[in-house]
Amino acid sequence: MRRTWAKASLLALLALGGSAFAQVIRVGVVGPMAFVQGEHTWYGATLAAEEINREGGVVVGGRPFRIELVRVDTNEITSVTDAATAVERAITAQRVDFLIGGFRSEAVLAMSEVAADYKKPFIITGAALDGILAGRVDRNYERFKYLFRVSPNKSSDLARTSLLLLGEVVQAVRQQLNLSRPKVAILAERAAWADPLVETASRLIAAPPPQGYGAEVVGVWRPSATATDVTPELTAIQRAQAQVIYTVLSGPVGVPFGRDWGRLKIPAAPVGINVEAQQETWLQATDGLGVYVATLNTLAPGVAITPKTLPFISNFQSRFKRFPIYTASGAYVALHILKEAILRAGSLEADAVVKALEATDYVGPSGRIVFDKVHDVTWGPGYTTGLGVQWVGSRMQAFWPRAWRVGDRVVGYAGVRPYQLPPWVVEAWRR
Amino acid sequence: MTGPLRVWSIPWLLLFLRHEVLALPSRVIALLFVLFLLFFPLFSQDPYLLRVLTLSALFALYAASWDLLSGYTGQVSLGHAFFFGISGYASALLGRELGLAPWATIPLGAALATLAGLLVGLPSLRVKGPYLSLVTLAFPILALGIIFLFPNFTGGELGLSGLPRLGQNRLEEYYLVTLTMLVSVYILWRIANSRLGLIFHALREDEAAVRMVGVNTVAYKLLAFAVSAFFAGLAGGLYAHYLRVAGPDSLSLFTSIQPVIWTVFGGIATIYGPVAGAFLLVPLLELLRVAEEWRMVGFAILILLVMRFLPQGVVRGVLDRLEEECPRCKVRNPFTRRRCRVCGVEMRLEVRA
Repeated sequence: MRRTWAKASLLALLALGGSAFAQVIRVGVVGPMAFVQGEHTWYGATLAAEEINREGGVVVGGRPFRIELVRVDTNEITSVTDAATAVERAITAQRVDFLIGGFRSEAVLAMSEVAADYKKPFIITGAALDGILAGRVDRNYERFKYLFRVSPNKSSDLARTSLLLLGEVVQAVRQQLNLSRPKVAILAERAAWADPLVETASRLIAAPPPQGYGAEVVGVWRPSATATDVTPELTAIQRAQAQVIYTVLSGPVGVPFGRDWGRLKIPAAPVGINVEAQQETWLQATDGLGVYVATLNTLAPGVAITPKTLPFISNFQSRFKRFPIYTASGAYVALHILKEAILRAGSLEADAVVKALEATDYVGPSGRIVFDKVHDVTWGPGYTTGLGVQWVGSRMQAFWPRAWRVGDRVVGYAGVRPYQLPPWVVEAWRR
Repeated sequence: MTGPLRVWSIPWLLLFLRHEVLALPSRVIALLFVLFLLFFPLFSQDPYLLRVLTLSALFALYAASWDLLSGYTGQVSLGHAFFFGISGYASALLGRELGLAPWATIPLGAALATLAGLLVGLPSLRVKGPYLSLVTLAFPILALGIIFLFPNFTGGELGLSGLPRLGQNRLEEYYLVTLTMLVSVYILWRIANSRLGLIFHALREDEAAVRMVGVNTVAYKLLAFAVSAFFAGLAGGLYAHYLRVAGPDSLSLFTSIQPVIWTVFGGIATIYGPVAGAFLLVPLLELLRVAEEWRMVGFAILILLVMRFLPQGVVRGVLDRLEEECPRCKVRNPFTRRRCRVCGVEMRLEVRA
């Protein structure tokens, strides 16, 4: 009996001593790990942690600290309660110092309340709604200053990008098909987030240039986000004689849309937001019928947004055998930004790190990251823009920004090719 | 002993404890459970553990409210999240627009839920059984539709955040929620065991017969909906302020189904069953976090096993093994007794060859 006690106390002492000298920075990676978004958050963070540790970790006060990732499965898609509890567990039981990740906006709100209670910096990498930061960091700075976002761009900026892509395609139709006033159909899923986009797009499409696109809106169609058949909408669009379809689709409806559109060879070019078409499985999902579909995206094969893009993609692919989605590049850059901030602060103390994070100016794989006054990632030329991608042949190819004029500068990335109209669209409308 | 004891005097309490509480395993368990909840923070104030217990208490109250309506009265509601959710939203909006504190907005939210209960109860006067369940299912979907229609007012899919906290720290929140839960569940239990509860019970078994003996079934059904909605709303308001977010998730189908799972697991039509169900399943789901991928699978298998071997729920299943009913006076006795503790008759008749 006494021997076991002695052994136990020795072990306890060792454990205590071990934790005092181990010198680790524990970072919680939060996300729905059963889903691709959470999985890629974990992969991206893993890649960054391995890089940082290989280079000797983070040196604070002359002592090297190793980054240790804690995998926090939030189950946030099913239950917001679970997500908030998982974060509290990560902070109090698993003793993480920093948090990165998060996907579902409503769950991120609840999780960030817990993080704010404990004053733990939380870098969001997956949720897009503006209201996660705007209206919180600015109105209640002392409480929410620990909250940052590196990816994706906030939804209003994503909307801006998608409208720029639409402009690109409208321009292509006008030039290649000799149509002075192209017709645009709007196909947006029936969801609250799509409403402002439909409204803005309708206004912008009809307005005369240079403010608008000088085109015509032939109608708005709103299928359910989970619809399995969009043939009625597509045939109506065909009958309305549209040449362009502006899509606002985040749900699984994106797949039947691509499949039906390709099968019926609808003579209108789709562009806008189609989250399903952002994934590398798009062509498989649409039986190869989704070729020429265009959507905004964060990364594309062979496009060097910054010097770090291609190395990141190839490292990621060789390590995980997948093409990274936005949560992967987001988590990757979040960890690097955190490391830089800790180095600049020279401390692990949350308030000092937050101050240093605010001064971030970091070039990552998806663009240059600078935080605005609500700690959101800045959108625009020279910062983070996103890409316009199109499926050509058997691969995803970027078509925007190629010669994007903003004021007196022209923005374009290496590896971006011109937009290609689907051949049957050209055939149907060429005069 | 000389003369009758004064009720609620200390000797009376001691006697009551000895003969009415300690005499039966079920009551001992209930007493231990209450003591555990009240004194748990003396042993640990770990915020995570307090959180798990607080959420268990919230969901216990929510599930118990479902049990009164669906278990006792038989009006199976598959849209209970309607009351839970709109009370949270109401509390959040009242706090934001009028600047009221949670102690004022949560009861107001619950009052609104009560009205909503009457509203949902109205169809129950015409439709029955699975049709009623479908009607109740429609209400949270309707509420979600309205929320998405006015995103500027309701926060849309993001919900309303930054709600004021219930207390200064997890400990205060724990006691506030736990005490509210204990008091509310006690009230629900008293209702279920009163004359009112008897009518609810009868409504479930044979509504026509109840009407035949001159009971106003319309009023009682609406009353069941209102009372149940009030307590669901109370839980919903507390929940919103605990998470500090009132969002669409609180109106989701998943939130509607959860009280059904907890109640059926614990034991339907008992009031204490859902409490046991929530206090067993919520912490269990947390324990299963160690096996991330298998969490939901393990959870489902456990529920299947319990339903197979304890079809009446955990509480009834366990108590039926610990207690038995006296064959003559129908008073419950612990299984250890050979003679009934009240009438002294032999509990088990020995059959001799």
